[in-house]
Amino acid sequence: MKSLLRIQALAFNTFREALRNKLLYTLLGFGVLMIGSGVLLATLSYVDVDEILQDVGMGAIRFFSAGIAIFIGIGLIHSEVDRRTIFTILSKPVSRSEFLVGKWAGLTITVWLQLGLMAMAFAGVSWMAGAPLGADHAVAIALIGLELMVLVAIATFFSAFTTPMLAAFFTVGIWMIGHLSRDLRALGERSEVESVSWMSDLIFTLVPDFEVFNMTLQAVHGLEISAGEIQLAIVYAAGYTISTLLLGSMIFSRRDFK
Amino acid sequence: MASERCAVIRVDQIVKDFRPGFGLRRKRVLHGVTFEVHEGEIFGFVGPNGAGKTTTLKILMGLIRPTSGSASILGCDVSESEFRNQIGFLPENPYFYPFLTAREILDFYARLCGVDSRSRAERVSGLLEVVHLSHAADARLRTFSKGMLQRVGVAQALINDPKVVFLDEPMSGLDPIGRKEIRDVILALRAAGKTVFMTTHILHDVEMICDRVAIIVNGTIRHQGCIEDFLPDATVSTGIVLSQLPAQIAVEMEERFSVEMRGLGERVELTIPAKRVQDVLEMALAAGAQVISVTPHKGSLEEVFLNAVREEEGSG
Repeated sequence: MKSLLRIQALAFNTFREALRNKLLYTLLGFGVLMIGSGVLLATLSYVDVDEILQDVGMGAIRFFSAGIAIFIGIGLIHSEVDRRTIFTILSKPVSRSEFLVGKWAGLTITVWLQLGLMAMAFAGVSWMAGAPLGADHAVAIALIGLELMVLVAIATFFSAFTTPMLAAFFTVGIWMIGHLSRDLRALGERSEVESVSWMSDLIFTLVPDFEVFNMTLQAVHGLEISAGEIQLAIVYAAGYTISTLLLGSMIFSRRDFK
Repeated sequence: MASERCAVIRVDQIVKDFRPGFGLRRKRVLHGVTFEVHEGEIFGFVGPNGAGKTTTLKILMGLIRPTSGSASILGCDVSESEFRNQIGFLPENPYFYPFLTAREILDFYARLCGVDSRSRAERVSGLLEVVHLSHAADARLRTFSKGMLQRVGVAQALINDPKVVFLDEPMSGLDPIGRKEIRDVILALRAAGKTVFMTTHILHDVEMICDRVAIIVNGTIRHQGCIEDFLPDATVSTGIVLSQLPAQIAVEMEERFSVEMRGLGERVELTIPAKRVQDVLEMALAAGAQVISVTPHKGSLEEVFLNAVREEEGSG
């Protein structure tokens, strides 16, 4: 219970700090602008106008939210060490794991909040354009929220032991590979070179499959999103987040703060 | 007296190696540091820059792991975190979230320490009063001077009413009034039965408030013990200020008693070996001079400290 209260205090403080980050508003602004620009892009086509509008909107939400999660997340721990604010925090009865989880929770709440704002912009633009809106759209956006939760955990993990530059490089790389890993695996299966096939399998196993959280196609084209797919995404997100934070805590616990 | 009390901080043969860069070479910064701090005392940890004071303190705070050796506070190994509810820590040049107010940052630390919501506001207000920051309680920390931030640092170190308080250069950046205030806080902590471990460069403060001292030079403890042991009772030299001293007598004094003489307008200041005070005073009074002041000069901690550093440089 005491541990939860400490994590809550750290998360709330991280949330307050993240809200003061200008990058958040810059990316949020661009995201909303991109969602709005879907109206213009849709006018270029005579068919599937609503689909283009919503496809662009969902893509913008995913891309700019991921940008916020990555570029605020990578400096999350590093800035605390750099400014030495971590010294006074860790001298209190706060374990390093609690510190890491608190930072992750604070940023996850922040990205969920901005996701909510982008979702409202998306709904507003869709409503004004007369595009259909249903529960599937809400589910697709909620799954983006799960993807962001995993992404923040990965950014926090790298931030726990490396520089922001390297953390950004690794996190962006994993996010991009994570969206392409199914294609990579399919290519590997077709390859006649055994090592290529073996390597693509390894990448698919190690790197989170972010396509599990991508239900844009189903939502935009009115296809059904099954309960099984939602359950899989929830379990997958929880599993990856917990294991990433556990590994991060283990590394972070061994770190010296000179 | 102090040695009869139980040890609340034990540091036993601590060695710390750092690896500069990516190479395999290691640099040893602490060479088997050993000392104890007893309950209810103010312990001064003194040393030149780079001697290993902050590294030792960071090991005690669990921020750095020792290469070998052990350290415990209140009987608990420093790698644990739960006992930290009973300690407070002020790092050197503390930095806090600039977007928070003094009240908010103290409330944040109180939450981390598990101070219950009913007593939190009261505790925060009380501490702001102790460090004389009540007037700036709701101002953002970005507007605070270095001295004010230092006082916020002291307040956060006391937020959980700790048994042991660690202060890294607590007087750093403070004006004379601020230093006096922090000194008073430290003395009040001792009066309340708390144990205080402080590192500082300001030896005058150590002389004034510390019960025991350890001097660390190049990662090795050179001296440790009660402050009285460092300050010899015997007077080393005496300063005498005289007026109306005839020039001829002054020259004679210089020759006979190895007196160092300095003119101060119509007055003259003499620095003489302690054992010749009687002779010089008799001679001066016989010559019709007037004695303005007689000041015995004793050995200081600064001399002990400088000697320890010189010894180390000599052996190095």
